[in-house]
Amino acid sequence: MSEHHITPLKTYLIIAASLLFLSGVTVWVSYIDLGSFNIVLAMFVATVKASLVAFFFMHLLWDDKKNLTMFLMSLMFFGIFVTITMLDTGFRGDLGLNPETKDPINKRAAFYDTLPLTDTHGHPVDEHHEDKDHH
Amino acid sequence: MSENTKQNYLNHPKGIMSWLLTLDHKRIGLMYLFSGILFFFLGGLLALVMRFELAAPGNDIISNEVYNNAYTLHGAIMIFLFIIPAIPGALGNILLPLMVGAKDVAFPRLNLASFYIYSFGALFAMYTIINGGVDTGWTFYTPYSTQSTSNVVPMTLGIFIIGFSSILTGLNFIATVHKMRIPGLTWYKLPLFVWALYGTSLVQITATPVLAITMVLLMLERFLGIGIFDPALGGDPVLYQHFFWFYSHPAVYIMILPAFGIISEIIPVHSRKKIWGYKFIAYSTLSIAFIGFLVWGHHMFTSGQSVFSQIVFSFITYFVGIPTGVKIFSWILTMYKGQVSFTPPMFYALAFLFLFTIGGLTGIFLGAVALDIHLHDTYFVVAHFHYVMQGGTIVAFLGGLHHWWPKSFGVMYNQTIANIAALGVFIGFNGTFFPQFLLGLRGMPRRYATYDEQFVELHSYSTFWSGILGISIFIAVMNLFWSFIKKNKVDPGSNPWGGMTLEWTHTSSPPHPHNFEEEPVLQHGPYDYDQVIVEKTYKK
Repeated sequence: MSEHHITPLKTYLIIAASLLFLSGVTVWVSYIDLGSFNIVLAMFVATVKASLVAFFFMHLLWDDKKNLTMFLMSLMFFGIFVTITMLDTGFRGDLGLNPETKDPINKRAAFYDTLPLTDTHGHPVDEHHEDKDHH
Repeated sequence: MSENTKQNYLNHPKGIMSWLLTLDHKRIGLMYLFSGILFFFLGGLLALVMRFELAAPGNDIISNEVYNNAYTLHGAIMIFLFIIPAIPGALGNILLPLMVGAKDVAFPRLNLASFYIYSFGALFAMYTIINGGVDTGWTFYTPYSTQSTSNVVPMTLGIFIIGFSSILTGLNFIATVHKMRIPGLTWYKLPLFVWALYGTSLVQITATPVLAITMVLLMLERFLGIGIFDPALGGDPVLYQHFFWFYSHPAVYIMILPAFGIISEIIPVHSRKKIWGYKFIAYSTLSIAFIGFLVWGHHMFTSGQSVFSQIVFSFITYFVGIPTGVKIFSWILTMYKGQVSFTPPMFYALAFLFLFTIGGLTGIFLGAVALDIHLHDTYFVVAHFHYVMQGGTIVAFLGGLHHWWPKSFGVMYNQTIANIAALGVFIGFNGTFFPQFLLGLRGMPRRYATYDEQFVELHSYSTFWSGILGISIFIAVMNLFWSFIKKNKVDPGSNPWGGMTLEWTHTSSPPHPHNFEEEPVLQHGPYDYDQVIVEKTYKK
């Protein structure tokens, strides 16, 4: 690249202040119980911060667009990996072969009568004590 | 002949240090080539030991433990030390700069570093052999790999290191294709081997870091007891398979895409006809590279992953068949009404078309969830991936070696022996692996040192032909090396197959140390047999 972008000091200071502010936000939201949304929010703030660093401190915003494409591609592949893996972990046990993890598709199917009740580790469970595992 | 034309990259500069510290892409390519062939023979030897053990049921030659080590090392050596680095590292390094008209790759020092990183990683892998082997299978599945007392750590560390070599080579090639092309060599005038290497490099730099992460996570769990894959520590063993196959499925395309590139070079040159559907082949390379990232779960249909993701993975898997089919049909149509000459490279290309098609079509069987649950971990899978990896990649690699041998070394091998060896490879390969489809359909599981009496006939048949296959490959490679001893030199200006790409038309055989004596000027496209007559010149 023949031209070299010179970023004004003011921009750097604004970005640095934003990063510090967002760090504060991360700490602050960790004290609020949002359930599983906590991790989503923390990751979102972290992504925004990383993007600010990449775009301004690492000059991606003014750089050759090929480099930006590469950066976005890596995010896209990461997204693909996480999303499709979640299709597995989010729906694990959806066939319901294990009566504890999911109701059988057809509770009256004779197949299920032959299966002993097991916990998630495959050990036989006494029906009266099955709640124990959940505590 | 002037002093300048006598000079080539093989004889100038001289001395062992000029090789070990070389920045010349061609010399680095040769170092990859010879180390690759060495590992190929080592992996092949392990395969033959296994095959002879399986000639009859029971433990006749080796014990169960040794067998477990043999198949793990065979897989790991063949995949990580030979197939993945061989085509990009050897043929890619030698040819890519020549094909784009450059003096070298974009980062020559990085290129040498890649080779040494590869060698360093290979040392770790070799250490496992001396130290008693590793018995987890090349996939290192948890929970066994976190508990096994064999050398899981040195082997995974070796693979971790080799991964970096792969990433750096990919990076180098991408920069070379973008920045080092001569003026006028636009994207659509690039030889298709360059497109294939470009697609491969994209996969290498995007997928390989995940392998490194996986290996690090495995070691974190082994050493620090951090629960990632072990359910007792709160981990998920299936997550390991997600991580592993997120790399290793795209890695299948790291292995096969360069082979596609070789075939796209061999077929038009030896049919003397413009390639059919240039843009389709080029874009199918990129689409295979992309779709390859979305299908990893088809290796995990019996792992206990959710049925929902099985359906998604099975569905997307079928899409890989489309760009692959586009390529196969384009190659066949290239030969149609061409002047096909049955030279050794063309024999290998034809063998590739048969073998890869069988490998690809049986892949569609295995992509169907219902069928895969029946065939998973049987010899059907073993036969399928050998048809793709050996019948596809290694046959294409042998074809590429025969095609560019006179270019790389300035010597010509005995073509009759090469043709006979190619035929031997084709017949021996089918004899070895076709019975394994039948074994798999009948329920013979993979990775067992012994088996039921009912499988004897097919197993002994497979073993017999594996001997023929081994001998044929040995003859093919020795025939190539024999050309050095026989000094059957070709004229430096000769173009024995009538190739139209820059490495054939603008540089000597073997090439000048700086590739071209002056910057080449592009006069025609890579396959313009319909517009320009290129003479086959083969003078001794």
